[in-house]
Amino acid sequence: MSLARRVVLAATVLLVVLFAVLGWILDAAMRDAVETQIRQRLEAHIYTLLATVELLPDGGMEIPADLPEPRLMQPDSGLYATVTGEQLAWRSPSSLGENPNLPAQPIEPGAFVFLPNADIGPERALVLRYAILWVDRLGGEHPYWFSVAENRELMEVQIGAFRRQLWGWAGAALLVFIALQIGVLRWGLAPLRRLRNEVSAVREGHEDQIRGVYPSELAQLKSGLNAFIASERKNLQRQRNQLGDLAHSLKTPLAVVRSGTLNAELLEQIDSMDRIVAYQLRRARTSGKPTWAQPVAVEPVAEKIATTLEKLYADKQVACEFDVDAAVRFYGDEGDLSELIGNLLENAFKWASSRILLSVSMANGGWVLLVEDDGPGIAPDRRDDVLQRGVRADERTAGHGIGLAIVTDLVEAYGGSIAIDRSALGGASIRVQFP
Amino acid sequence: MRVLLVEDDQTLQTQLAGQLKAAGYAVDTATDGEEGLYFGEEYPIDLAVIDLGLPKLNGMEIIRRLREAERRFPILILTARDGWQDKVAGLEAGADDYLVKPFVTEELLARVNALVRRSAGWAKAELVAGPYRLDTAAQSLAIDEEEVELTSFEYKVLEYLMMHAGEVISKMRLTEHIYEQDFDRDSNVIEVFVGRLRKKLDPSGDLRPIETLRGRGYRFRPFDKAA
Repeated sequence: MSLARRVVLAATVLLVVLFAVLGWILDAAMRDAVETQIRQRLEAHIYTLLATVELLPDGGMEIPADLPEPRLMQPDSGLYATVTGEQLAWRSPSSLGENPNLPAQPIEPGAFVFLPNADIGPERALVLRYAILWVDRLGGEHPYWFSVAENRELMEVQIGAFRRQLWGWAGAALLVFIALQIGVLRWGLAPLRRLRNEVSAVREGHEDQIRGVYPSELAQLKSGLNAFIASERKNLQRQRNQLGDLAHSLKTPLAVVRSGTLNAELLEQIDSMDRIVAYQLRRARTSGKPTWAQPVAVEPVAEKIATTLEKLYADKQVACEFDVDAAVRFYGDEGDLSELIGNLLENAFKWASSRILLSVSMANGGWVLLVEDDGPGIAPDRRDDVLQRGVRADERTAGHGIGLAIVTDLVEAYGGSIAIDRSALGGASIRVQFP
Repeated sequence: MRVLLVEDDQTLQTQLAGQLKAAGYAVDTATDGEEGLYFGEEYPIDLAVIDLGLPKLNGMEIIRRLREAERRFPILILTARDGWQDKVAGLEAGADDYLVKPFVTEELLARVNALVRRSAGWAKAELVAGPYRLDTAAQSLAIDEEEVELTSFEYKVLEYLMMHAGEVISKMRLTEHIYEQDFDRDSNVIEVFVGRLRKKLDPSGDLRPIETLRGRGYRFRPFDKAA
């Protein structure tokens, strides 16, 4: 899982949990608040009732038919009251018949009893009860129990509305926060992403080093990477030089033996040794696309090699024409590019009778190198042989074959493809496509 | 033709010098870069064969300095490095050809021959002037398609004169380019060879291919193409 994804996921889970806990607390607090508010209202109703009733000297009680609270007068209003005594069982006109059935058990006088969720027949209600003890003239005690009930429906409606609002806003806020943190994260991780892109650009050879400006944490990493890339390149160069030295120290003795001996069998062995040495050295040098290569402009390399070949083949008076797109870059080693163009062009110089055409152009997302000549060409049934690779150096025939075999090795190492055809000039046309 | 051979490997140097001499070249040998540069600047060289990996001064530097000093004779590089970048670098420094070790002796001789010829302005291995046809590869002469036997020294003199046809070649120059440095320059051996050559080239005495310009030297007559 990517770094960004991990952080986004963790932060999102945390945010959701945080919002859930917060919402739950708010919800509970709100319920409490609503209940307390209703309880206070019920208390007020009880006090009003207490103020309205008329206590008779004999201990009886009279409740006027007209009450100050209109909801108690209106049937089925959701607000109900009962007063119960030894000889009294009064119900507010809002109750219908026997229902609702408010609790009537005796309770201690002078104290409120609150039942937030009582079953009162068909509905549930918040019930507040209060008891008084009426002492008559003779000292007889007459208890009266007051009960006021408020239907929960109203409260539930209120709470429901609040909840909808609470969770709606909380959800929206949550989404906004998640979006914000993704944005913040993207912004925070942007240098990392840039660094990653630059590193792959360098690796593929599109850039020669990491150049961007980075925050302090990454700046050190950047300079470390650049140093590593530079040393990698130097190592490659040193390795090449060592191989060159090895070649030199092997080949001079070979040349001595070669020019000194007249024994045919020995000569053959020496030639074979030489070919193996040459082939292996070349292979070691071109073991594939280097990872930290610099882009190489194709045109100047081709130009130099053509000039060199014109000098080497001055006797032949061959005209080498160029049709080269100067913008084309080779993402790899300059030595490899030189080998590639050198071998292809030398082949053309060897076989051409008067004209060679070298074309380099962008094509199919990569680039194409086309070398054509007006020589005898390569017969269709020999084309595969000529391009054969993986054959040991001593099994290859010298001349036409070996240069192209090297080219095939190189092209494959760089993931390209090579094809031979007949040129419009009359001779061979060798087309190399690079990705 | 006088060839400078700069090669630090003693065995190879001896072998190559022997083969070049056998092929009719006068050979000066140098074992390190400084000596090679000195010979190249001071001696009347027709061609230099230079190994790239040399002590004291590397081959590339010798070539660069020789060209800076306006020495225009052709240079053939001998090297173990066969990469195209090395070839390009060598020819950019001013060399004319490139031979990778190990090589076949015939290949070296053919390249040396071709370079010498080309530097004198001849495109083909056959130098043709009037009825004369000198094959520099086979080292043979034909007059009107008829083969004529030449000794090795006669051939060398004729080759030099024909290659520079039309130019006045002093006796001194001819000696320098045909013999190595310890040759006795006061002897009249050149006159003797030229005299014998004249007889072989022009038995009837009406072609007069080699002119003597008294006090100045010899000149191979520039024949018309038509002639």
